[in-house]
Amino acid sequence: MSLLSDDYTRRALLEVLLVGALCGIVGVHVVLRRLSFFTMAMTHATFPGVVLAAIVGIDLLLGSGLFGIVVVLGVTWLSSRSRSDSSAAVGVVLSAGFALGVALLSAHAGFTRDLSAYLVGSVLTVQPSDLVKTAIVLVVVLAVLASVGKELVFGAFDRGGLVALGYPARRLDLLLLLLVELAVVSSVPAVGTILAVALVVAPAATARLWCDRIGPMTAVAVGLGMASGVLGVLVSERAEVAAGAAIVLVACAFFAGSALLAPHTLTARAPVPEEAR
Amino acid sequence: MSLLVEPFASPFMARALAVALLLGVVGGVVSVFVVLRRLAFVSDTLTHTVFPGVVVGFLVAGTNGIVWGALAFAVLSVVLLTVLSTHARITEDASLAILLTGFFSVGVILVSRRPSYTADLTAFLFGRILTVDMRQIVVTAILGAVALLTLAALRKELVFRAFDPAGAAARGYPVVALDLALNLVVALVVVAAVRAVGTVLVIALLVVPGAAARLLSDRLAAIVVLAAAIGALGGWLGLAASYQASIEHGLRLASGATVVLALVALYGVAAAVGTVRSSARRRGRVTP
Repeated sequence: MSLLSDDYTRRALLEVLLVGALCGIVGVHVVLRRLSFFTMAMTHATFPGVVLAAIVGIDLLLGSGLFGIVVVLGVTWLSSRSRSDSSAAVGVVLSAGFALGVALLSAHAGFTRDLSAYLVGSVLTVQPSDLVKTAIVLVVVLAVLASVGKELVFGAFDRGGLVALGYPARRLDLLLLLLVELAVVSSVPAVGTILAVALVVAPAATARLWCDRIGPMTAVAVGLGMASGVLGVLVSERAEVAAGAAIVLVACAFFAGSALLAPHTLTARAPVPEEAR
Repeated sequence: MSLLVEPFASPFMARALAVALLLGVVGGVVSVFVVLRRLAFVSDTLTHTVFPGVVVGFLVAGTNGIVWGALAFAVLSVVLLTVLSTHARITEDASLAILLTGFFSVGVILVSRRPSYTADLTAFLFGRILTVDMRQIVVTAILGAVALLTLAALRKELVFRAFDPAGAAARGYPVVALDLALNLVVALVVVAAVRAVGTVLVIALLVVPGAAARLLSDRLAAIVVLAAAIGALGGWLGLAASYQASIEHGLRLASGATVVLALVALYGVAAAVGTVRSSARRRGRVTP
């Protein structure tokens, strides 16, 4: 493998393996709880955090993580108001966050080059420190899920039951949102803010097509996330196209193929879902 | 007051203002339906799926091809959306997210093959409202008129379907066709706005005015008028603010993003007004 002789390719492959595993694990919960649009808003609203962190010169992960917490609180507050439903609230926060990021960047010099790196990622310029951070985040997420994973799954399927049994349901919800934010922020160097949602949602949704149990679904999602990352980097090297977009396209191709081939889809199509009425 | 008028003395700013007002009014009216039907995520998906169309149109026929490419991909993604939403096993939001990022990646990959990668990407994503020409204003006006006329013709059916989908289906209205029509109207706005504000910021035009107007009124007709006014006002204030900051204070603010921030600020004002009014009503007395 002459490909692996380059330092930067090796680092890129390691990064996408880590990010793929991380997003696969978190993605299972996002898909089960239908948080895709929320994740989308997080990725967009994290963008000004990334820009601010870069301008001020503090750590990217820290800056955007803090900003993400503000976003989470903003969405929860807006959607708790009587008249606006949560999807409009998420839409407002999403556009506000993105516009703020663009305005901040445009006020700063070097507009276009930095911008595209944040938007669509540049995995080939990943630094060893990024790798260490992603690994730490992965360990943290694994530790959190090892301790409260069961409660989180319980909450996804039967929130009323969780509350009735005396679990702190609101705090658990918030914890999960923070995990999603961590995964999103960690994948920014690899795939950028716009496409991070794909690495979170696509592998988990693909796994859902094949599996009915959480354990196997998580394993398949992690495998698909890692495979999408590696294949995407290889394709982008061969075809000389943007790496982040190639990774996402591979993940989406897995989903499209599974939607056509998975055994469940035909039998599950019979009942008309509520949304389609 | 001169702060709000003076920037538009130069022809390029006047043209930018014309496009911003047009898009504000059309986007405002459409956003009411987006908010009523909770289509915020669908709209966001459409803004991203149109992106590869913009790129393909540009590669094939230059700047004049952008609208046609965008239109073709808009129709394609609206059809895919409507098909995917009938798929039972995957929830609608997950399939939307995948459709959105998949299409968007195709656009990024196509752009990344070009030598002027980053500059092109920025122009496609954020638009260039300051360089619009007369022809573009006409195209925007035509697309906007088609969108508004469609909404006007179908308004009764669309409102019925929004509030009582089961009732509309039982009365024999073609619900799927109505959904398709509304999605197409949203797509038309995206296509109309794509060259001016770019694909990423259109979502603000399609959600924020309607959400803000909804906070101020309960009557649909009033909400539509308010949303159109908020959309237009946001465009005007945003352009003026971006001009003043860039020319007078040496702070370069991207015009598209400033328009969006102005819209969000108006949403904040609407939220404050709505809160004060509803708490006054609840307590039965006027509070400051």
